[in-house]
Amino acid sequence: MTATRPEDDQPGLTRRSTLQGLAAGAASLAVPMVARAQQPPVRIGYAMARTGPWTGGAQVSQEPNYLLWAEQQNAAGGLNVKGVKRPIELISSDDRSEVETCVRTYEKLMGSDKVDLILPPWGSNANFAVAPLANRYGYPLLAPTALSRRLVEMKLPYFFLLLQQPAPMTGALVDMLKNQGVKSVAVIYVDDLFGIENYAALKVSLAGSGISIVEDKSYPAGVKDLSPVLRSIKDKNPDAFIGFTYPPDTILASKQAKEIGFNPKFFYASVGTAFQLYRNVMTPAGAEGVLGMGSWNSKTSAGAKAYFDAHTKKFGGKEPDRWASGACWASLEILTNAVAKVGLDRKAIRDHVAATEHSTIVGKIKFNGSENVGTPGSVSQWQNGEFEVVWPKSVATANLVAQKPAWK
Amino acid sequence: MSAGAWLELITSGIITGGIYALVALGLNLQYGLMRILNIAHGEFMVLGAYLTWVAHTVWGISPIVMIPVSFAALALLGVAVHWLCFRRLTQTSPNVDVFEARSLMVAFGLMFLVQNFCSWVWGGELRGYDYMTSPVTIGQAPFAGNKLLVFGMALVISLGLMLWLRQTLMGKGVRALMQSGVGARLVGIDTKRLHPWMFGIGLGLSGVAGCLLSMAYTISPAMGEPYTVTALIVITLGGFGSMGGALAGGLLLGVIEAIGMHFTSPSLKALLSYAVFIGVLLLKPKGLFTRRTREA
Repeated sequence: MTATRPEDDQPGLTRRSTLQGLAAGAASLAVPMVARAQQPPVRIGYAMARTGPWTGGAQVSQEPNYLLWAEQQNAAGGLNVKGVKRPIELISSDDRSEVETCVRTYEKLMGSDKVDLILPPWGSNANFAVAPLANRYGYPLLAPTALSRRLVEMKLPYFFLLLQQPAPMTGALVDMLKNQGVKSVAVIYVDDLFGIENYAALKVSLAGSGISIVEDKSYPAGVKDLSPVLRSIKDKNPDAFIGFTYPPDTILASKQAKEIGFNPKFFYASVGTAFQLYRNVMTPAGAEGVLGMGSWNSKTSAGAKAYFDAHTKKFGGKEPDRWASGACWASLEILTNAVAKVGLDRKAIRDHVAATEHSTIVGKIKFNGSENVGTPGSVSQWQNGEFEVVWPKSVATANLVAQKPAWK
Repeated sequence: MSAGAWLELITSGIITGGIYALVALGLNLQYGLMRILNIAHGEFMVLGAYLTWVAHTVWGISPIVMIPVSFAALALLGVAVHWLCFRRLTQTSPNVDVFEARSLMVAFGLMFLVQNFCSWVWGGELRGYDYMTSPVTIGQAPFAGNKLLVFGMALVISLGLMLWLRQTLMGKGVRALMQSGVGARLVGIDTKRLHPWMFGIGLGLSGVAGCLLSMAYTISPAMGEPYTVTALIVITLGGFGSMGGALAGGLLLGVIEAIGMHFTSPSLKALLSYAVFIGVLLLKPKGLFTRRTREA
């Protein structure tokens, strides 16, 4: 259930709108005198979940990065627009975790506010809705938290996906399991686009690998009890457990696996394993050996270390997550470089993003259509309180611990 | 399936059901007995959960200590909320049906206020901590310690409320209040004092539920609403105002869901619970555990 604000629908003059008008008028008189002295700001708009169910992901992997980026750029004199430094002005609002609000906000940002650039909203669903719109208005959109084959298949020229898609991610996982001699897996997946696509990609990756699926069950988002499923999986004693899960369920599945003493050789869960929250809730000893979707940490590159430290410092010890946060920062790096090179001509930005191989904190990124084909699929693992990239070897920050220790 | 596996499955269902019942008890007191349709019940529960989380992670206070603290804090808040909102509604509503409709509107407002308050103070991220997660073995089957605690509290609280409402003078006063406010006043029951405190106790119980749930689950400002829905189902199943009914309704729902999830898929969970709900509404619209002759 979400809030609707009655004043949104009321035409005519209310006391509030009058006051707002007066305040804006006063501000507009004051601003030009100050602003004339410097370059006009680059206006960058976005909608972000600050309330509702998407908030958990959005406020870890995405919005903190936008704020940090704007702050860093402004501290350095502004965003470099083809050699001219201009301050960044972020125009943002809460999308209340609603696709409609999200679409309406972007429509306003691009249609009537005519901002210079937009940054994407959080999650596959919101990006699904906003991407065609951004494409129509000709705004490049570099999405760090969208994961869906369908988004690639829409072939939108202005839309770019930074995160590794289901096929490379599950491909890396299966490759690792095969290498470790795993014979059987059990799978649970959330019954939405994310879970279903990943499960489908996993089945494709498993075909011909010699690994059998002994159990596969879907569950609804917001599930409160997975123990009946986990108990029946435990009875089948698979070598590996794979969960295509969201943060609350990732933690629920981990806690309940511990509860019932289900400790397979490989325990893999998805969104949320890369969060600091996971280590906080499971404790570092409890998280030890858990595998999940992750692609970088502060050891990945010098830039990654600088970003990690700046993030942790700005947000009072809050760490970026070891998967999508890196992709989000990389997307901002790409955008910064593109604007420095070609200015605010959005068509030129799009062409630059599409045609260039970009160096980022998470490594080389290049696009084939909308898809990032520069970053390989990867698997990470909690080891001594850090989420280490363990597969493939080319991007690994630590060696795989092949037998998960017992839950603690 | 072996007998042991069945036992394990049913016990895990009973434990989840205990959690449902616990959340439903406070709402049952407010809606079942007082006709305040407090749709913000889940949100107040979230408040209790955050209090516990802060106390545990920042000040290192044991969540067990926070059970009575959450109760007291939320109960006081409840009295204040009643004084601010519902007192006036009781005075101005011509009859109990109008009161119920109006209370629903007020509670909607409270829901947004409390939810946004939590977002504003603690942010929208997921939070959680590790407490009593080590398994305790019952028979052959292991269960998390914190879940057993939640279940135990649900039992204790519902039995306690049942006894209190049936056996004590004050409890009888509360039941009288709901059967007829005027009648209750005529026989000398101080309804002006009783009403706010009952509401306060209802909120206090939501605080306890929140405190206990924060041990077992991750918490976020938006987590409350599904619990309110489950609580409404549970008290409808059990019969409005019947504490034993709420407990039995919660346990029934938990067991049906566990068995259903095992044999079909967790994705069908909502279908199962609503099928039970609709079935009960069709066959016994007043709830499974209400006696025909008694209203409250």
